[in-house]
Amino acid sequence: MKAFVAALLFAAIAAVGMSILLNIIQEPSSVAFTTSGARVGDPGNNLVGPNG
Amino acid sequence: MASLGRFIRLTVGACAFLLVIAASVPCNAQQVNPTASSVKEQQLLQELNRIQGRVSIPDQRSGVLEQPAGRDWREFRNVTLRWIGGITIIGMIAVLVIFYLTRGMVRLESGRSGRTIVRFSAFERFVHWMTATCFIVLAISGLNITFGRPLLLPLVGFEAFSEWSQWAKYAHNYLSFPFTIGVALIFLMWIAGNIPNKVDVDWLKRGGGIVGHDHPPAYRFNAGQKAIYWIVVIGGGAVAVTGYELMFPFYLSGIEGMQLAQIVHSIVAVLFIAAMLGHIYIGTIGMEGAFDAMGTGDVDLNWAKEHHSLWVEEEQAKGHAPSGGTSRPVAAE
Repeated sequence: MKAFVAALLFAAIAAVGMSILLNIIQEPSSVAFTTSGARVGDPGNNLVGPNG
Repeated sequence: MASLGRFIRLTVGACAFLLVIAASVPCNAQQVNPTASSVKEQQLLQELNRIQGRVSIPDQRSGVLEQPAGRDWREFRNVTLRWIGGITIIGMIAVLVIFYLTRGMVRLESGRSGRTIVRFSAFERFVHWMTATCFIVLAISGLNITFGRPLLLPLVGFEAFSEWSQWAKYAHNYLSFPFTIGVALIFLMWIAGNIPNKVDVDWLKRGGGIVGHDHPPAYRFNAGQKAIYWIVVIGGGAVAVTGYELMFPFYLSGIEGMQLAQIVHSIVAVLFIAAMLGHIYIGTIGMEGAFDAMGTGDVDLNWAKEHHSLWVEEEQAKGHAPSGGTSRPVAAE
């Protein structure tokens, strides 16, 4: 039972940790694909979320 | 003389009139359908295999307007995959139900001895359960991508389905990381005991103790468990690589590569799910005493002797297991 609970905890921590890390590393599409010549609009709060 | 000049003028005028009429005929034909000989979209697709242009945003790959392979992929995803997945998974469930109803639980024939042997350490069970729980969430959220729209959406409605699918996709993406760690640890942890050998051939010839009531000898992992191990390692590795190719679009490949990755990911995943249904069956209701191995880590000595006799001999020789085994049988719970 301890191994099972520890496994669940580790999986949850690893998943949340990776989501935070990827959100830090990756830019939102409206930022990544905007240049001085072309501005990509903020996708807003749709299905893919504000950072989609 | 004057009449000759009038005749010549009339003749030249008539010839000029006929010439104008004759010349106007093809002009009329062109005006009827001026684009008859122009290049059609279908011809462009057939010749170039795609229609693409220039775009102003930095990612020039967004300029691809049409590529025929996309329609083939959509047909696979919306039709073929649903048939493959449905037949594979429902077929496996049907086989297991029929097998259970005809064969029943594989009983511990010599009863419980009351003495146990350590089957899996705490770390091994931790890795197993981490991979297993991630796999179950990945399987459910993955099946939702393929079957959710036709099966779940009509039952729960658009709002609930959207909310559920959004969270399921987050879980699918982020739980892939501990799952991949688990597959890598499983590969390293159990590789030594999962190399096929001659004992496995004999085990398979004798039905592995599942078909009939024979108990062919096996080391720590029998041929069936070795098959599951390699399915997890190879299948898990395949879904991880193709999954990350999809999760990070255009880093590893273009559109065609990602479509191929999705096809491999989905087919391997449904086969993986079917195989794991068999694994879950035999580890729970399919075999008496099997769940203890991953539950507490200790199995009854009689169970170990019936299903892994060569491994018990090795452990006894090392002094890791009590000797004997069938001397004090107790009733199974």
